[in-house]
Amino acid sequence: MRAFADRRKLRRSLYCWLALAPLVVIILFPFAVMFLTAVKPPEEVFIYPARWLPSHFRWANFSDMWVATRFGRALENSLLVSLSSMLLAIVVSVPAAYALARATFRGQGAYRQFLLVTQMLSPILLVIGLFRLAAMIHWNGGNLVDTRLSVVVAYAAFNIAFAVWMLSSYFATIPRDLEEAAWLEGCGRARAMLKVFLPLAAPALGVTAIFTFINGWNEFAVVYTLIRSDANKTLTVQITDLVAGRYTVEWHQVMAATLLATLPVSVLFAWLQRYLVKGLALGAVK
Amino acid sequence: MRRSAGARQPSQTRLNPWVLILPSLALALFVIGYPLYNIVFQSVHAVSRFGLIRGFCGLDNFRQVFADPVFLASLVRTVWWTLGVVGGAVLVGLPVALVLNQDFYGRGLARVLVMLPWSVSLTMTAIVWRWAFNDEYGMVNVTLQRLHLISGPVHWLASSTLAFPVEILVGILVSVPFTVTLFLGGLASVPGDIYEAARVEGASSWQQFRRLTLPLLRPFINMAIVLNVIYVFNSFPIIWVMTQGGPSNSTHILVTYLYERGFRLGKPGEAAAVSLIMLLLLFAATALYLKIQPREGGAA
Repeated sequence: MRAFADRRKLRRSLYCWLALAPLVVIILFPFAVMFLTAVKPPEEVFIYPARWLPSHFRWANFSDMWVATRFGRALENSLLVSLSSMLLAIVVSVPAAYALARATFRGQGAYRQFLLVTQMLSPILLVIGLFRLAAMIHWNGGNLVDTRLSVVVAYAAFNIAFAVWMLSSYFATIPRDLEEAAWLEGCGRARAMLKVFLPLAAPALGVTAIFTFINGWNEFAVVYTLIRSDANKTLTVQITDLVAGRYTVEWHQVMAATLLATLPVSVLFAWLQRYLVKGLALGAVK
Repeated sequence: MRRSAGARQPSQTRLNPWVLILPSLALALFVIGYPLYNIVFQSVHAVSRFGLIRGFCGLDNFRQVFADPVFLASLVRTVWWTLGVVGGAVLVGLPVALVLNQDFYGRGLARVLVMLPWSVSLTMTAIVWRWAFNDEYGMVNVTLQRLHLISGPVHWLASSTLAFPVEILVGILVSVPFTVTLFLGGLASVPGDIYEAARVEGASSWQQFRRLTLPLLRPFINMAIVLNVIYVFNSFPIIWVMTQGGPSNSTHILVTYLYERGFRLGKPGEAAAVSLIMLLLLFAATALYLKIQPREGGAA
């Protein structure tokens, strides 16, 4: 009986994988292109007819690329911008999400609507005005154009809706009784939140923070518009500049750069994606 | 119920929810509200290449834009782009979600694989595909030639008829993970025993799908359509990085047209007008959707 059930599951697995196969091939295709181009000796990239496999793996492409594309600086900027915008977004979103999950108040619906609207107004739609805003604000004897600060603030603002949505849907699943017990024990509301609520919410906070980080890491249009000098560019823009409007593109270096910029985030994402599935689904039924 | 919980808390600890909401509201209003106002302002003023306001010009910017055949073509292409990518993502996403919802060996791995494109920046995806679709050295042509599906290199991105469909396919690929995620969330909320009952009644798998799964998924499909329409309509990097609207303006959609007007051709006033037109389109689409969407009871 058991063996029979096992055999049925085995057969079902085969069908499922067969059905998914075309999509999986297409999904893995760009990763294969990235990896195999990145390790090709440069003289093999432009031979005709082109071949998939390199004659040998040339790992030195990565160190060449690191120097030639000033990868380190862009990596630093990406890290700085993504981390700071993540912190700012989380700091302003946690109280808002707490209020949405725990209180009923006038204007709650309006606030939710407002968040929805901010989701619709993507940075690219507002990019003309965003640039004006940055140019208008005096900062360090100049203005905010070409500063990483402007990018951080913009990213944080555009992530509020997502963060509040994710956080409030998780917060609503944390039982109220625990906090109320803390109040009865004479704990103030702020203390109860710090001592009882936040530790319980820590996993949700972590997951939301990481996805906010990834959003910043992957963003393009805002940096592309607000940042002018190479010293302040993040990875997405730095690597795009290696490709756009050039006669000769060193594709092996470009692919090495995209691979390095992509892989860490992909691994992080693969590890955490089921939390995203859960969080979005919880938020969705609200 | 919530009221009573609120009443139990000691009065000195009661917090005004608006105090909690204020920081997020202020930040969002500042970064999103001001640019919005500024776009309205610029759209009705003559603005120099460097952003100097030259005076009120009424609807001149809008007139200029509507007189531009490239704008009109981009407008139409945006509709195709949105329909193509969203429709494709839903059509691919639904069967994929149904498969991933089965119990089979390696399902965890399969889910990770399907989600993978989501983790990659659209910009990076576009760069890699741009290389993969390279005429002579790209792996797409190499592979198709190996499989004897084409006889010589196809000029995918250099051709005004092929470039746009290629970009739509890339758009579908990157939209599938999010769509599947929403569907999986929906499928998880479907109780298993109703299928048991249906099987007892002798319903075929197709009937189960048509009569049970599809209606239960309806709200999730609707949501996938709305959210994807918003994202795809606003999607900039794929087209910008792969073709920059070319060859000969054959792949411009409104966002790339807007960016080119504002930052390449030095016409911020017209770009602001395009932004506003896009906003109106987006709101109109949402309003239309809310109107045709049947009201579902007041479930929180």
